Amino acid sequence: MSLEQPQRPDVGVTPDGELNYDELAELLDGHVIDREQHENAEGFVIRPDEVSTVLQTLKQEAGFDHLSLVTSQEYQDRYESIYHLKKYKDPTQELSLVVPTTRDDPVSQSAASVFDTADWHEREAYDLVGIEYEDHPDLRRILLPETWQGHPLSKDYNQDQPQIVPLREHADPMEHRTEVPEEQDTMFINIGPHHPATHGVLHLKTVLDGEQVVDVDPDVGYLHRCEEQMCQQSTYRHQIMPYPDRWDYISAGMLNEWSYARAAEDLADVDVPDYAQIIRTMSAEMSRIAAHLLAVGTFALDIYGDFTAIFMYAITDREKVQNLLEDLSGQRLMFNYFRLGGVAWDLPEPRAEFFENVRSFCEYIPERLEEYHNLLTSNELFQSRVIDTGVLPTDVAKDYGATGPVARGSGVDYDLRRDDPYGYYDELEFDVITDDGCDNFSRAYVRLEEMRQSARIIEQCVDLLEDWPEDERDIQANVPRTLKPEPDTEVYRAVEGAKGELGIYIRSDGTDKPARFKIRSPSYCNLQTLEVMAEGEYVPDMVAALGSLDIVLGEVDR
Amino acid sequence: MTLLPQKIADVIGIDSVFVDIFAAIIGAGLVGTLILIQSALAGPWAKRKITAAFTDRISVNKFGPLGVGIIIPDAVRLISKELIVPEGVDRPAWDIAPIILASSALLGFAVIPMGSLGPVNFQLADPEVGLVFVFAVASIASIALVMAGYASNNKYSFLGGLRAVAQNLAYEIPLIVVGISVVLFSGSLRTSEIVAAQQETLFELGPLAIPSWFAILNPFAFFLFLVANMAEVGRNPFDIPEAPTEIVAGHQTEYSSVYFVLLYLGEFVHIFLGGAIVATVFLGGPAGPVLPGLVWFLIKIWAMFLLTQWLRSAVPRVRIDQLIEIGWKGLLVLAFFNLFLTAGLVGVFAA
Amino acid sequence: MLGILKGMATTMKHALDGETFTVKYPEEEPEVSPRFRGVHKFSQERCIWCRQCENVCPNDTIQIVMDDKRNGEQYNLHIGQCIYCRLCEEVCPVDAILLTQNFEFVGDTKDELAYNKEQLKNVPWYKDIDPLESREPDRSAWVGEGDGEVDYQ
Repeated sequence: MSLEQPQRPDVGVTPDGELNYDELAELLDGHVIDREQHENAEGFVIRPDEVSTVLQTLKQEAGFDHLSLVTSQEYQDRYESIYHLKKYKDPTQELSLVVPTTRDDPVSQSAASVFDTADWHEREAYDLVGIEYEDHPDLRRILLPETWQGHPLSKDYNQDQPQIVPLREHADPMEHRTEVPEEQDTMFINIGPHHPATHGVLHLKTVLDGEQVVDVDPDVGYLHRCEEQMCQQSTYRHQIMPYPDRWDYISAGMLNEWSYARAAEDLADVDVPDYAQIIRTMSAEMSRIAAHLLAVGTFALDIYGDFTAIFMYAITDREKVQNLLEDLSGQRLMFNYFRLGGVAWDLPEPRAEFFENVRSFCEYIPERLEEYHNLLTSNELFQSRVIDTGVLPTDVAKDYGATGPVARGSGVDYDLRRDDPYGYYDELEFDVITDDGCDNFSRAYVRLEEMRQSARIIEQCVDLLEDWPEDERDIQANVPRTLKPEPDTEVYRAVEGAKGELGIYIRSDGTDKPARFKIRSPSYCNLQTLEVMAEGEYVPDMVAALGSLDIVLGEVDR
Repeated sequence: MTLLPQKIADVIGIDSVFVDIFAAIIGAGLVGTLILIQSALAGPWAKRKITAAFTDRISVNKFGPLGVGIIIPDAVRLISKELIVPEGVDRPAWDIAPIILASSALLGFAVIPMGSLGPVNFQLADPEVGLVFVFAVASIASIALVMAGYASNNKYSFLGGLRAVAQNLAYEIPLIVVGISVVLFSGSLRTSEIVAAQQETLFELGPLAIPSWFAILNPFAFFLFLVANMAEVGRNPFDIPEAPTEIVAGHQTEYSSVYFVLLYLGEFVHIFLGGAIVATVFLGGPAGPVLPGLVWFLIKIWAMFLLTQWLRSAVPRVRIDQLIEIGWKGLLVLAFFNLFLTAGLVGVFAA
Repeated sequence: MLGILKGMATTMKHALDGETFTVKYPEEEPEVSPRFRGVHKFSQERCIWCRQCENVCPNDTIQIVMDDKRNGEQYNLHIGQCIYCRLCEEVCPVDAILLTQNFEFVGDTKDELAYNKEQLKNVPWYKDIDPLESREPDRSAWVGEGDGEVDYQ
């Protein structure tokens, strides 16, 4: 949070910190056609040609500086884009902007001029649903190949249509290979999709001037597995839960499962017993440690070179968390441990032994952190490599919707565990780590220190669980076997995932399967900032910036 | 001491120019084999074992004692792979580069005094300008890297080749300037005389006679030389011509099969040559108590190899611009400072 | 400089303490949690052919074939397609399908991983762990079904 801004209350906020939607509607003065009730916030329906004006007003005067997600969907009679707005200083103050467009002419104004993050979100909406955005800087397909026919999440999409486009109908990649302009002082280079440093199948179309990056254009979608659509074809009660594990597959499964659990529980009004919430909190923090360990390890790999010792140490420590998670959930990566209304298992017997293992792990983590600090942050060569490289200024981070360690490393004090508490977090003590460095070093430092906080949380959870009365150990609420939420209920809920704000939007249509399931993937939003970080830097610094972003392609591409 | 080819010729006993040539070839073969055995040990086996020790793993342990037998299947595996020739490579250059890289590093061992084993003195030649020859030959490798990078028709290789030139230019000069400071001490460029100059006892420490190794006489120069040498052989923190996480594998990207083996071998021989230079110039060459000279020499070059692996486990790779800065603004200045300091000292003592 | 030396000292400490973290897998079989989810084991005696497992399976891994009198004929499970979510075990009212701890299965082709009833019955226990025993305390947790309608097909 920058201190220069005057500390005046935003329009539409009551003195006790609640949103006053009537006042907000007044502020928008005639732009609001209709008002909808969503589970998480009110939705203002506006005209498709007034999007940027309305967003500009809301951003400037009402303080909605975080465009969390753009959801697009098709109804029988219309297309709809929903802009989920939040505030970085208080994410419980939410507002949805609903922008309907006609089926015949699905054109809507782009929000990219107000929020940079809208760029990719709208490209995805165009790609999958088929809404066109006017004044969008670069409206191309993003997840699917350029040659794809049709928009897969639209109603009239023909699944049986063959998608093989012969090379002759598409641009020939070999065509321009030999055509070198006479005066050329830049070099185009494809980094990825097969490259040691892209952490998966990321493709960076890079233009280099010598060794310096002039332009970088991430090309994602190589790992697109239709996760959203798979969830739309699965039942709420059981079938969706195994899939979140597979978005961010770096053992952050518990956190992902929680995002779905939180959204679906709000949608279906399911209460979770406290005991289950504590187990959830504990397991989620274990997942966070595992994910951060891998993030730090691979970041070290990017800077130190092939198979440095740090990577193996991180993997060794991660193994220890995974053993604990295996004892708890039965699996090491794809946990499928959460259920709507609770968790699948109680703690493993004998409980005392499990508690002891967890406690000794929590004591072990701070010890190990000393070693990581010795190996990484206190190393002068490491410092000279990462300090002041890959700079992401605070305002830019907010504009790009960066969350998680990336935002916190840019000095944005934003953590949903504290700001929008869920689970048992509001009863627990922990610090939100922020760093004002805005560079690669800050992001790595924030991750390292967050592990310490996670260990603190786990210890507190263990204390609570140990003293929990034996007859009150409810691990699941009584949830009907077939869940059919009220038709046309909409909810958008987010949790603090390992990489940032992991949100789920669900719209129900009265059946036992969601009508629209949309994932707000933190990696996807964070990856957009790479362009800002990398420009003008050397190739090694771009690689370091990418490593410090800690993206997981499974989550970016979904 | 008689040199190795001379000894072989003596054993054969016929005084003819052809026998001399024959003996020279046999001697070169012997030394070459000795070095190649070290590389074969280092590449597939020792490197794995050392890295595994640093990273809390076990590594190869199935075949032979401590898994040393892995060398044979590894060699078979590497050589039996398909040699893929990418489209558009600059053919003769692309083929020659690995050969130059491997042979140039081997060539350096011609003048290194490797000590004796029994009656045999392992040194092939002892020219007047031995040290200059070693430095000259060792830096031919950078030409091979540029050739490999440029001829591969791959942008990553190209970047790697360019980085190799920049790096070698930046570090060759400090390396040689530091080397000159040693020559001031020894008063000769002949490698055998540099070694001999380090035999004298510097001072007695109880029962231990500390020899006047130049590393002990001038630790500052030794440190500079180690850093420059690390950059010269392209190891962490200066492995930027390869830099796997940045430019895939730099100049090696497009090579496979036998050519890859040659490149890889060249690098290992290069590390050992770097070690041999350090041993000769600063660590008294093959000197050491009890054990034969050759064994001491091997211990010293393996110690250098171990150092490279140790650095690899814990030291981050510097960026290319930082590397150039360290080279030109740091090392070069310090190297000249060291040279003048040494010259002054030597002058004072000589006077 | 001091930081670099500290880092080097740390790695050297690891090199010299002789501890390794490698699992010597084929020689020493790893300990797995009793809750670990491996290959399924099917019990025809227990199965009442209610098809709940087939119904709940998120990616249609289980295929049940019945004759016209609703007697079970085939029970096929593609263990290569399975995502090991354990939902089939969880919904089974009679514990007819269980996930053993056995993770050691291979196949040369995908087809070999499509197990039929007989193959599923013959899946060995891993280290003689009977998962049902270890899971008994938690049984009651998910047997309670709530008030919703049960969705039989």
